[in-house]
Amino acid sequence: MSHPEEARLDDAITLDADSGGLFRSLLIVGVGSLSGAVLLGMNDLAKLQRAYLVAFMYVLSIALGALWFVTIQHLTNAKWSVVVRRVAEIMASNMWLVALLSLGVVGPMLLGSTDLYVWLDHARVEQDHVLHHKSAYLNIQFFIVRWVLYFGFWIWLGRRFFRLSVQQDRDGGSEISTTLRRISAPSMIVFALTLTFCAIDLVMSLDALWFSTMFGVYYFAGCVLAGYSTLGLFLMWIQSKGRLTTSVNSEHYHDIGKMMFAFTVFWAYIAFSQFMLIWYADVPEETHWYHWRFEGSWKVVSALLLVAHFAVPFFGLMSRHVKRNKRSLAFWAVWILVIHYVDLFWLVYPNGSGEVPLSAVDILCWLGVLGLFGAVSVRRAQKINLIPTGDPRLADSLAFENA
Amino acid sequence: MTDSSESVAVSKEPEQVHGLLAEYETPQKLIAAARRIKEAGYSRWDSFSPFPVHGIDPAMGIRPTILPWIVFAAGLSGGTGALFFQWWTSTQDYPWIVSGKPFWSIPANIPITFELTVLAAALTCFAGMLILNKLPLPSHPLDRIRRFARVTNDRFFVLIQASDPKFDARQTSELLAATGPRGAVETVMEDTQSSNVVPRGVTFGLLILVSAAAVPFSLAALARVSTNTKPKFHIVPDMDFQQKYKPQRKNAFFEDQRAMRLDVAGTVAVGELKDDDHFYRGKLNGTFAKTFPPQIEISEQTMARGQDRFGIYCTPCHGVDGAGQGMVHQRARSLMQGTWVQPSDLHMEALRYKSVGELFEGISKGVRNMPGYARQIDPADRWAIVLYLRALQRSQAASLADLPEAERKGLE
Repeated sequence: MSHPEEARLDDAITLDADSGGLFRSLLIVGVGSLSGAVLLGMNDLAKLQRAYLVAFMYVLSIALGALWFVTIQHLTNAKWSVVVRRVAEIMASNMWLVALLSLGVVGPMLLGSTDLYVWLDHARVEQDHVLHHKSAYLNIQFFIVRWVLYFGFWIWLGRRFFRLSVQQDRDGGSEISTTLRRISAPSMIVFALTLTFCAIDLVMSLDALWFSTMFGVYYFAGCVLAGYSTLGLFLMWIQSKGRLTTSVNSEHYHDIGKMMFAFTVFWAYIAFSQFMLIWYADVPEETHWYHWRFEGSWKVVSALLLVAHFAVPFFGLMSRHVKRNKRSLAFWAVWILVIHYVDLFWLVYPNGSGEVPLSAVDILCWLGVLGLFGAVSVRRAQKINLIPTGDPRLADSLAFENA
Repeated sequence: MTDSSESVAVSKEPEQVHGLLAEYETPQKLIAAARRIKEAGYSRWDSFSPFPVHGIDPAMGIRPTILPWIVFAAGLSGGTGALFFQWWTSTQDYPWIVSGKPFWSIPANIPITFELTVLAAALTCFAGMLILNKLPLPSHPLDRIRRFARVTNDRFFVLIQASDPKFDARQTSELLAATGPRGAVETVMEDTQSSNVVPRGVTFGLLILVSAAAVPFSLAALARVSTNTKPKFHIVPDMDFQQKYKPQRKNAFFEDQRAMRLDVAGTVAVGELKDDDHFYRGKLNGTFAKTFPPQIEISEQTMARGQDRFGIYCTPCHGVDGAGQGMVHQRARSLMQGTWVQPSDLHMEALRYKSVGELFEGISKGVRNMPGYARQIDPADRWAIVLYLRALQRSQAASLADLPEAERKGLE
């Protein structure tokens, strides 16, 4: 039920010039870090490619998390999230940049590099019976077709949500909401398929002999965590600029925190389900993947994931007071974003040597793609309303209260 | 405020009045009224609404419930309890090897731990909610107020109980009347007509339900202590009687009536030809070989492999030193098994002078009580065991001349 006195929209709901400073610094960080990574990594291209793949999967997970958020809000006709939805729409609409960044992964593949993906190596594929068997799916031509489909769909969906929502700011009415709700249902199905196969193609196929049917949903859990954490932090930054200070309140942060908490558990549930089936069956074709991750220093990283990706944030995010307090929620959002990087690093790197090869190149790649994605997002947030003012459910969202 | 409500309130005996009821048309009015009643300092009162009204808790001054803490404690004890009992059953009470895993394999315990955490938390949440709300409540004085029935539809109510220390029939009624209720403030009387005794029908109904619930358990208990000559009842006959031929069964289709078909004469599976007599049977030109086959490399590595296999397959009977005093032998002796023959002492002369080919055949085909190990140990490993056995025999029958010069001098 609504409290008329609290349901008030802010007077200032655009950033205008206030975001210029952050935009410039993010752009400098992005371009500078990526150039630094390339300079440092020139002499070891295989290493550079892996470092870049981790960073790319990271920024992709944030964009996909935001896209999923917008899709499910429309799908469920959600009222609470209207005031925070525009920020997610902004992030999801930058899928074109992520597609551009993906050239850093796909480019070397097209140029004939087989450093990352063994299934690109014709000689190996001809020798190995299993790889040969899989080559009907894992071949460069079909891969390019899929890659175009994935990003084509994501760019289209992100733009559609963003454009129509901005158009609704001007035109009002509920027709656009209905249209978006209609496209969200089939899109959710296509989204699930594209995300699953993209995770299989880009990460799981690094070890082309290994397979797990839960791999896609494992990556998805990370996407949602990263999406919500970034959404929360983005909103806090906007509020620090004096915008949306009354529209977005602890009730909305509470819900974002609940989703972070829920998907912390979901991630652990999926991660453990994947692990337990392989551990129990104890089939060499499957166990080697975990064996590599329990060898040498990777053992510490695996234990770190168990503790810092699940146990600590599970208890940390449990209390409602933590979720309703901006500072504590920001702390856990940053925590999740850091450990999410460790998670992706742990997916991409192990190769049986037992060494954890974290270096400056990894960090620079990470900062680079994040800087570019952040800069473009901040830029896009500059001119438009930070709240979908034309959405007919806006009043409900402004007056939203957790029971 | 109306006169009638006051006159009613005053004319009755105070202990018979349960409280004063006010009705509101909107949740906003209910919240406004709740704020005023809280500010007036009342403690024993409540509000009623058809749906959860946001903001009613702070308006009424209700403190956050302790239910989450109870649920948290229940979840923790469910989880630790599940872990503890799995640890206790699988390592203390009844240790049992499953799939070659350690007795206490935490990954296998996580699903049950997870389920019991959720189960304990959810059940406690449900029961705790009922208990903290003092539910179920079979009867309440408000049940007899006709207009209160609309609380499940579209009306909102506040009831201030007469047991409240601040309750005063006149003042309380005035306070409620000032909050803008719909219609008069109504006096709710204590229910003096209803009995506290549980109706007979309910008691008998519960008894019948409990007895019925005991029937399946009684039948199961009966089945456990009795015998039956009737054939087993098949719940899923399709699964118990499958339309297929099992090994060693008859099949009228074939002339020899065997369901299991023999290989075509002369068939050899890929890699199963085994025409190397030396390597596979330990023979050279029909007699036992005195040398190792060329495939076997006489090296430290082969020796280590042989020691490892010897440790697994031979020591249970022959013992670590090969003297025939292994654990199986000791156990058989302690049981005083009359048919038991002591495993051979591998250092006895007859065995020391046997050729390697003969030893190989002994391992492959077995000797007296000892079964053949060809099925369990592949030929290369059998040769490795023979190599290790030669070294073991040598160790027990070495002469001074066998020692390296430095050591020999030390002894002399």
